Amino acid sequence: MKILVLIKEVPDMATVKFDSEKGVVNRAGADAEINPFDENALKAAVDLKRAYDDVEITAVTMGPPRSERSLRMAFAKGADKMVLLTDREFGGSDTYATARILSAAIRHIRDYDLIICGEKSVDGDTAQVGAEVAEFLGIPHSYYVDSIKLEDGKVRVSVENISGRRQERVMTCPCLVSVTKNVSRPELPTVRRKLLSLEQDVEILNIGDLEELTPDNTGFAGSPTKVSKVVVPGIITRDTHIFREDTDGFAAKIEEVLFEKGLV
Amino acid sequence: MTEMDYSKLIEIVGKDYFIKGEEDIESFLYDQVEKTFRPKADKRSVAVKPANTEELSEIMKYANQEKIPVVVRGGATGLCGGCTPTEESIIISMERFNHIVEIDEKNMVAVLEAGVTLMQFLEELDKYKGIGFPVHPGDEGAQMGGMAATNAGGARAVRHGVMRKHILGLEVVLPTGEILELGGKLVKNNAGYNLTQLILGSEGTLCIITKVILKIFPNDSYTASIVAPFEKFEDATNAVMEILKSGVSPLAVEYMDKFLWEGSSKALGMKWQAEKGEADLLIMLSEKTEQALIDDCRVINEICEKNHSYDTLYAEKKQEQLDLLHIRGEQYNFKKDWLYDSFDMAVPISHIAEFIHDLKRLAKEYNAGSSLLAHIADGNVHNDMWLVDGKAPEYAEELKNRMYEACFSYGGTITGEHGVGKIRRTDLEMMKDPREIEIYRGIKAVFDPNGILNPGSVIA
Amino acid sequence: MANEKTYKGILVLCEYTDKGIHRVAYELLNKGREIADKLGQPLEALVVAPENVDVTELMERGADRVYHIKGECFRVSEEILYKENVVEFIKEYSPMVCLIGATEFGRSAAPRIACALGTGLTADCTDLVVNEAGEFIQVRPAFSDNILAHIKTVTFPKFCTVRYKEFAEAGKTEGRRTESKTLEPYCTEIKGCEIVDVTDIGAKDISEADVIVAAGRGVKTKEDMAIIEALADALGGTVGASRALVDAGIASSAIQVGYSGHRVKPIVYIACGISGAPQHMAGMKESDTIIAINKDPSAPIFNIADYGIVGDLYEVVPALTRRFSRKED
Repeated sequence: MKILVLIKEVPDMATVKFDSEKGVVNRAGADAEINPFDENALKAAVDLKRAYDDVEITAVTMGPPRSERSLRMAFAKGADKMVLLTDREFGGSDTYATARILSAAIRHIRDYDLIICGEKSVDGDTAQVGAEVAEFLGIPHSYYVDSIKLEDGKVRVSVENISGRRQERVMTCPCLVSVTKNVSRPELPTVRRKLLSLEQDVEILNIGDLEELTPDNTGFAGSPTKVSKVVVPGIITRDTHIFREDTDGFAAKIEEVLFEKGLV
Repeated sequence: MTEMDYSKLIEIVGKDYFIKGEEDIESFLYDQVEKTFRPKADKRSVAVKPANTEELSEIMKYANQEKIPVVVRGGATGLCGGCTPTEESIIISMERFNHIVEIDEKNMVAVLEAGVTLMQFLEELDKYKGIGFPVHPGDEGAQMGGMAATNAGGARAVRHGVMRKHILGLEVVLPTGEILELGGKLVKNNAGYNLTQLILGSEGTLCIITKVILKIFPNDSYTASIVAPFEKFEDATNAVMEILKSGVSPLAVEYMDKFLWEGSSKALGMKWQAEKGEADLLIMLSEKTEQALIDDCRVINEICEKNHSYDTLYAEKKQEQLDLLHIRGEQYNFKKDWLYDSFDMAVPISHIAEFIHDLKRLAKEYNAGSSLLAHIADGNVHNDMWLVDGKAPEYAEELKNRMYEACFSYGGTITGEHGVGKIRRTDLEMMKDPREIEIYRGIKAVFDPNGILNPGSVIA
Repeated sequence: MANEKTYKGILVLCEYTDKGIHRVAYELLNKGREIADKLGQPLEALVVAPENVDVTELMERGADRVYHIKGECFRVSEEILYKENVVEFIKEYSPMVCLIGATEFGRSAAPRIACALGTGLTADCTDLVVNEAGEFIQVRPAFSDNILAHIKTVTFPKFCTVRYKEFAEAGKTEGRRTESKTLEPYCTEIKGCEIVDVTDIGAKDISEADVIVAAGRGVKTKEDMAIIEALADALGGTVGASRALVDAGIASSAIQVGYSGHRVKPIVYIACGISGAPQHMAGMKESDTIIAINKDPSAPIFNIADYGIVGDLYEVVPALTRRFSRKED
């Protein structure tokens, strides 16, 4: 079983600064790291590798050359191979153009059975790229998956919630699975594997390596959605009333609220 | 105190900044010493919040003249009852001394009023790219004046040492109301006795610090933490000594009993990943370059493996490092309901393995509940004695004395970083030559002839 | 790029659940009406569902035309079959704008549909506007809700998923009937994905609740959840939980509130022993009234609460339960 894990490098959200007056996002000073949801995708793949024979994991990312660091971290955490998609032309891609680039690279990689990606990225928040990649590749997909098992060359998944119900699905390979945080518990890598990751080769693909890509169908030019403006909203504050050691007063207040809202 | 005293204080600070009455004074009486072990506070005390050095000076002149005890209160994050008034006192709350006077990037020096909290200071430094301050006692509610007066330490002392290493000067108000400027933005300053250093660690018994001048540092951009699990405690301490000798300079090396790592993780909804091993170390690193960080890891890993560690784990992501710190910090909540008394002994690093063995053996001998953590590369151990049926154990005094004996046998101290305050004053007498304590009294008399400042702390 | 004039109508894509049409469709009809009027377009709805589904409420809530692709094969939700049918429909009817609820189903199906059509998709919108230049602008939060991006789509249809409970439902005119059209399925067979089991999610649907009583790390054991459940019962509410509690195995992920769980917007949210990590607050900060119970006066949850009490949830919650159960009698 060959598994591809799609990874995005994102800024550490705790250190990104948002200026509500100027409406700008300042990523300078923020550390770049593996998108937290993708950590669960990677660990889900590693769990499969531990549970079944002959599983090979390739971590794939698209981004600037420095994203190589995140790939190496993915290696430290259990990936066997690393592929970096990087090209100036890829800059400014929306989810559609990103999915086009990723799927082109996946066709180039050719030999794969299962693609795992995280629920969403903490910077883009769209949760779209996974299903778009599946559509470009013409393979089945499931979202909101919290359990993956391999069965007779097929992939059995549990979908946490779709239209109010939980579903068990058996998918034919190749297929794409987008996982929630409940699918796995990420772990720290060993120092030894971290050091080993620094000595590995990373396969680098750019626009010239992928036939179906052109400057017109990737990057800003290949993106059907355009950001026209960014607004940083001010922080919502509420007029907080705090009670101390007055449970009765507090309860009376809650009762008043419930009554006002027509809930009692 | 009399009505006249109250009205004088109100005249100086204004009525909004004068607090009196058993209920209102409650939140001005204690620090973070366990409830069971707190010194008894005198609730007749009143609190004032002076706005500046001049108001403070007026208060001191009056208190000195009327011989009313004065206790200074900073962030109240202390662990030795230092700011608890055990006699009817004027409590000086320093919270209005909260101005950052200057961040001098040229000299890499900060000038702060004493009531600036560590959190406020670090947030301010955040605005200056790449500048930081390394001493971190754990609770960012601590005030810089209090950190100076108690010579605060914390986990990061392995590389950066304690407060006294970083303070270049002070502004202080003497019990007589006189204001003194000591030291300055000077790297070298050999003029006369170093009163600054004498005041650091004097725990509010000599004068009141109103301003501190301290060194600030370029921040390291690359950080990581390593979890190193060992089967045997000796292997862990041998590895630590070798690491320190290797030239790698970790920020911190923390040991905790395995059940504390595991229990705190669980309480946080996490899992302590090092399954094997009985002696787990948390090693925190920071460097200017990524290469230097990697080199540190390589050296540390080799040393740990040589000393029979299990697989060492690597945390690089901010969140991963924070998670480890949270687990380390959570241990207090995890165990606090069981605590009777907590200790702060320190021994030379070379003896720490033997010393911790002694402590564990003693606990076993008394069948006493206990837990232990250590800033291990500083030789500083925090072990606890637990309550028995919710009460002080009968053996408490005897066990404590035997632990101290073990500590002294290695040339150790009863307090590495928390200070003497009011709860360890008699313990101090066990440790010190009477002549040394006599000299303390002499110094105290020179600064504070009427003995009004923080009576009952450090010396009687 | 196609000529704008050949694209007509604002199309609301409805999700079928075993309770009928998902109510987010009625909210989309409300916002859709506003957009349709500004752009001078009709407002239409597409239902892909079994035969017995009643579509008249879509008319009563403002749809000018309702299309119903009928088929027993749509009884169980599956995104690829839905996509095959919607894509063919859109190719045939060429709507100008497509709206779908950003539910789990909508988020999974929409990217496939948009991608198959080669059009842009904007995720998880919180507002839709027509600007002065007459352009359709989609407003969506990004960077974990820290910014709002205004997005234009240059292809057709302009397609977006819209957050549930972001807009009020469209008003209902009893008996309003408009044109409806029944269509045969374009495709009836799911390819590459077999649904072998469908079960309850094992909890009340937390995103529908008016009152949520949520528990955090202040709750120590699984058994102690009973005191949270008791209060929820007394108030006719639903139990929620923070990520930490789910991780600790004390609560089920089905009731997890937060950025990585459910985003909820109840009328009253009672946070018990939840300190208020940013990830948790991202999931509940838009609740009408927020009430917090926490031992730690510095817990960040108090910063966004309307009412709070500094106290032990083990004392406060049962006290509240006693008070409110008495009232119910």
